[in-house]
Amino acid sequence: MNIIEIGGLTKKFGDFAAVDNMSLTLKEGEIFGFLGANGAGKSTTISMIASLLRPTKGEIKFLGKNIAKNAHFAKMNIGMVPQDLAIYEDMSAYENVRFFAGLYGFRGGELKARVEEALSFVGLGDKQKELPKNFSGGMKRRLNIACAIAHRPKLIIMDEPTVGIDPHSRNYILQSVKELNRMGCTILYTSHYMEEVEEICTRIAIVDHGKIIADGTKEQLKAIITDSKEIWIDVKSVEGLNQEQLKEIRGVLSVRIEEQRIKIQSRAEIGNLNDIVQQLIRDGMEIRAVEEQAPNLETVFLTLTGRNLRD
Amino acid sequence: MKTILWLMAHTLRNTFRKRSNIILFLLPVAGVMLSAGLYGQTGGTGLSIGIVQQDGADAVGRDVAAFVGALDGVKLTDTSDADLRDRIAAGKLDAGIVIPPGFGESLKAGKPMQLELLSVKGAQVTAYVQAMLDGYLNNVASIAAQAKGDEARFEQIYGEYTKGSFKVSREQLTDASNVKDTTYQSLGFLVAFMMFSAVNMSEMILREKENRTFLRLLSSPVTAKSYVAANVAVNVVAMVFQTALTLCFMRYVLDIDSGVPIMQLAFSLVLFGIGAIALSLLIVSLSKSRGQSSALQNLIITPTCLLAGCYFPMEIMPDAIRKIGAFLPQHWLLDTVNRLQQGDSFGSLYMNLLILAAFAAAFAAIAIFRFSRNNDTRTFV
Repeated sequence: MNIIEIGGLTKKFGDFAAVDNMSLTLKEGEIFGFLGANGAGKSTTISMIASLLRPTKGEIKFLGKNIAKNAHFAKMNIGMVPQDLAIYEDMSAYENVRFFAGLYGFRGGELKARVEEALSFVGLGDKQKELPKNFSGGMKRRLNIACAIAHRPKLIIMDEPTVGIDPHSRNYILQSVKELNRMGCTILYTSHYMEEVEEICTRIAIVDHGKIIADGTKEQLKAIITDSKEIWIDVKSVEGLNQEQLKEIRGVLSVRIEEQRIKIQSRAEIGNLNDIVQQLIRDGMEIRAVEEQAPNLETVFLTLTGRNLRD
Repeated sequence: MKTILWLMAHTLRNTFRKRSNIILFLLPVAGVMLSAGLYGQTGGTGLSIGIVQQDGADAVGRDVAAFVGALDGVKLTDTSDADLRDRIAAGKLDAGIVIPPGFGESLKAGKPMQLELLSVKGAQVTAYVQAMLDGYLNNVASIAAQAKGDEARFEQIYGEYTKGSFKVSREQLTDASNVKDTTYQSLGFLVAFMMFSAVNMSEMILREKENRTFLRLLSSPVTAKSYVAANVAVNVVAMVFQTALTLCFMRYVLDIDSGVPIMQLAFSLVLFGIGAIALSLLIVSLSKSRGQSSALQNLIITPTCLLAGCYFPMEIMPDAIRKIGAFLPQHWLLDTVNRLQQGDSFGSLYMNLLILAAFAAAFAAIAIFRFSRNNDTRTFV
């Protein structure tokens, strides 16, 4: 069953269309990745699903019901993990979760049980009485999640839930997302980290300029760009590299530098590796390794949008 | 309703969790105490007068001191000339009288010597004693004039006078002006603090926005309207409690009788308080951050309170400024209290109360207009 159905969704701010005639469906039980650079329209779409923003045009249905007409029903069944921490620093972890869970009508023993369950789930069961201001960034992020899941929502919207945290906390959160999904929650997940989306999402949509330009499983997305390949060349130092000369080589689509690694996207059918290597030698590069990569999500994103996810 | 009550409990807990907010809430009581100290006397109204008797040998001279001591509300203390000024300066005595040597004789001769009444508190303290003393000395001087230097005749008439053969009837009127001033200024402070408290409470909306919890609240079954309604409800509860606390403190701790039935006073204050809450919402609706709302509250509340006579009596202000005061809600509240003290009936002041209600309605209407213009629930306020 579709948990979310979006049809012809548009949101304009003045003349600017942040979301432009978007259509999309989310099926129950999915972990749906929403990929897009800053300003692509992800947050605006999420805000409309969470009833925080009214669409200019179009319709969103939650479990078959129009959200605009059934906002209370939708809100009771959706949990929102905002990108920015939305917790009270001067209230204990327990009080934070208790307050937000109370907004869904829980009281007494049931409320207590839900709060304890949510805190235990995110690994803060032993930190209930502590104030978030004494927490690490990762612990705050986990509390941010606990506040959104205590009412056991059917759909959890997670907007960049791992921004700025240590690898251990990130891993904990990713495992929690998978666990929530196993427990029956549908997840709508946005992230700047391609590897996270690749690791946990069962289906992914790529958003650009307010439109969905591709969606499907990661395998389906990668299959879109069978006509390109990525060549990674590790060098001792990139000092003296002439990127413009590299881009002029036949078949080269783009050149990116990541520390001592040169990433070149090229047409798959053109054999230009020798030309590339010779150009690098002319530029005085000391080549350490050359590797040809199969397309990954990052390549897909770059090919479809013409820019990096972190742009 | 259940959600609004939950939000109200949360707002109350969060507000009074901070000590600074409790202090702000109790500031009106402190303001009343300050006002009572500046403008009035609290509780007892007795005058403490020191007397330096340098004419103790003469019966008439001794009688002058006895007369002052017998005045209502006067406590007489014998002291020395050297000690008198020190005790007045230290505030231990309200005033002092020196009866010089030969004063009795000068009275008998019909040419009383000048009596010096010393005080650092001015005419408001000495006027009553001075007037009574002048009357007494004039009477004795008149007796001396009738005796025409005949000491036996003087003693006879004076003796009958002091025995009370001459009936002097005296009506004591309550001097309510001091209490009135104290009440007026106390309420002035209360009004100013009520306005600051209201903005402080409404600023919670901006605080929620700044720490992004507002966004999470709105993604729950809470609507922006019910959130603002809960904030207003808490503000009203706090305002009523603050008013009741301050009035009870004034009446039962400081013993300031405003001369106005307490329920009428409370009603007027709560009506004004609702206007203050509406104004605080308007300030919040015009502000994007707490910094902006603080600047606005300082720009609006402090000057208007000054112009409306909350901090200083209107009488000391020029006419032009008094006229500006008529456009401020604080003025209409203070005017209502003033006229109730002057004996006007509560019903006859319906126009003042309507004006206060109109201010509240106007502020609320503009605030609601400001809120509703924005259809983005994320930035509803």
